[in-house]
Amino acid sequence: MIQPLLELRSIEVAGRQQPRLLGIDLSVHAGERIALLGPSGAGKSTLMAVANGLLQPDQGTVLWSGEPRARSSRGRRRQLQRIGTLWQDLRLIEELTVQQNLNCGRLGQWNLAQALLNLLLPLESEACRAVLGQMDLDPALLNQPIGSLSGGQRQRIAIARLLRQDPVLWLADEPLASLDPRLADELLELLLRQTAAPRALLLSLHRPDRIQGFSRVIGLREGQLQFDCKPQDVSAPMLQALYAATAEP
Amino acid sequence: MKPAAPLLVLLPALVLLPVLVLLPGLMHGGGWDLIGTFLEAAVHPSLDPVVLASLLQGLAVTAGMALLGWASSVLIGIALGIASSRLVWRSLSATERPAQLLRRLLAIPRSIHELIWGLLLLQLLGLQPAVAVLAIAIPYGALVARVVSDLLDALPDQTLRALLLSGAPAPAALISALGPPLLPGLISYGGYRLECALRSATLLGVFGLGGLGNELLLTLQSLEFRELWSGLWLLLALMLSLEALVRQLRQRWGMPSRFGLGQGSSGQRGRELLLAVAALLPLLVLVAQALDVHPGALLHWQPLPPMPEQHWLETLALPWPSLVVNTLLLTLLAAGMAVGGAPLLLLLVAPWRWGRRLLQLLWALGRLWPPPLTALLLLFVLKPGVVTAALALGFHNLGILGRLLLEGAEVAGAGAEEALRSSGSGARIALLYGRFSALARSYLAYGAYRSDVILRETVVVGLVAGTGLGSQLRESLSSFAWDQIALLLLVYAVLTIVGEDLSDRARRRLL
Repeated sequence: MIQPLLELRSIEVAGRQQPRLLGIDLSVHAGERIALLGPSGAGKSTLMAVANGLLQPDQGTVLWSGEPRARSSRGRRRQLQRIGTLWQDLRLIEELTVQQNLNCGRLGQWNLAQALLNLLLPLESEACRAVLGQMDLDPALLNQPIGSLSGGQRQRIAIARLLRQDPVLWLADEPLASLDPRLADELLELLLRQTAAPRALLLSLHRPDRIQGFSRVIGLREGQLQFDCKPQDVSAPMLQALYAATAEP
Repeated sequence: MKPAAPLLVLLPALVLLPVLVLLPGLMHGGGWDLIGTFLEAAVHPSLDPVVLASLLQGLAVTAGMALLGWASSVLIGIALGIASSRLVWRSLSATERPAQLLRRLLAIPRSIHELIWGLLLLQLLGLQPAVAVLAIAIPYGALVARVVSDLLDALPDQTLRALLLSGAPAPAALISALGPPLLPGLISYGGYRLECALRSATLLGVFGLGGLGNELLLTLQSLEFRELWSGLWLLLALMLSLEALVRQLRQRWGMPSRFGLGQGSSGQRGRELLLAVAALLPLLVLVAQALDVHPGALLHWQPLPPMPEQHWLETLALPWPSLVVNTLLLTLLAAGMAVGGAPLLLLLVAPWRWGRRLLQLLWALGRLWPPPLTALLLLFVLKPGVVTAALALGFHNLGILGRLLLEGAEVAGAGAEEALRSSGSGARIALLYGRFSALARSYLAYGAYRSDVILRETVVVGLVAGTGLGSQLRESLSSFAWDQIALLLLVYAVLTIVGEDLSDRARRRLL
């Protein structure tokens, strides 16, 4: 059988009052695009942080392409290069140009000398132009400072930076949260288009109205998986149960 | 080809290249065993109770002088700051002229380093504790005055006008309209000045004005390195506690950080603040009594030694161009080493967890170690000259800028660094792109300000390492050549006033 790109086994993360994640089992295979649904506080961000390795679970095993967290820093960096995160606040570097930001996706592979040179003479212009093209952006943007771009352009630059990194596992924590409906549709369409096999996408959503186009939908509530099925099988009662008001302690 | 922000903070470190090239030629061969003994003594300080008692007494005197000098400078500074505020003059009378005039005049005491004030006052008043206090109070007072008037002039004046129009008496209107918004900035800056005052008081001690500095110099000259280190560790403990206290109070009272990245709100803890000020007053009186500082004694001037004949022609024949060029070169090298060296070192140690701790210790030592003592230590192995002096001055300022850089790096660019790390970037690259991008501008702006301070400080190492205007000043002071002294001070003042203007322009462009 083919190794899953990400495998979570019996993951538990303790919280202050109640566990933030409890007994999570989840595999993400190449070609899958998974929507992670759940109300606020369900543990979606915690799950994302475990998936990209920022947070080490208290219990359970995380495997990336069948491998546990690498011990050596070199091995760990190689592992991390295969995981790409689209941050909700994008985390573009305002002081740098578009091209320098795009090249941030390559920094995992570059040495310090290349990184320094990129700050003087931005490197690999052809490759940067190519990813801008894939995002339907004007190549003339390359030399613009990030600060001069519109919100929609910035979103696309953040995805283009992921294309430069070229990870297999794409993680996106509520990327649509602060966008107007038209931009959100565009962004989702771009993300789904870019994450065909051998890549995979795990994307968390606050609201359940954009799950068409995904291959799987997972419901998370109070740190536990409620359902894991195809989007056409998600029923109204399932969603009602997922988003039902929690009894306040 | 325009270097990007994170690269800009590293560029000043390029001055290290010529320094490294010149360094082997500057070694005079001997003295390495002394450096070895000195370094070894760091872990074996003297624990002799007699030595410790004498060092502690010296430390108390230094701390007392710093506290008194600082308190006087804050009082002087607030008074002169209000008097030189354009806003105050505009509101109370029709003209801003007096404010501008006073501002220009204040540039003179500010441009002269506290050490020069100390040495001049020593000639006038003889050796007494009040000399060090006054030497700190004069330039610091002028510095605080500038900050106060800048803060005041940046405030909107509607409240003040409204109060005055409603018939409130001027002093009451001033205090209630301008006091509360002025306070956070003033307290934050005041706390920082107290840290500086401790360093200055130590430095003045090195030149014989009493306190721990004097003991440090004596132990260094008699090669009693273990005793020297006992004194240094004690001073380090005091300095770090003071810095921690100031940081705590700044956070507790919600004051803006020195770096100006997070703008603080106005203080919420008015009562606590008032209590602190009230507690400070009796403390100051006690310290003054313990140190035997009598303001009255300042009125008794010593008879000056008979003035030698003035030789203006000889004075003019001094090698002025080389004195000035060496002073500027010294400033450039020291500033480059300090401003560029701090981020460079941080970058180099980034992959190691203990690296940052080690740097923090090194920088703390740099801050507390008076530059003339570093220069003396370097003279064990290096020939005197510009590079030696620059190394000593650069090391001291590296400590100050390094601490500031770390403070800034705690808040700026954390998200970007995390994002880079989690896409597989190494620690150095993530620091460079993530943190340095975010703090480059404000750090360089502070570096510009610091370079102007470094220009003023060149006199301190020049006195020891034999270079620039400082070394000439030493000769002129010891031969009571008042004509030379006067001209040297004038040249110094002009240089620092021009330097201040340049650094102001650089800062305005950066921020």
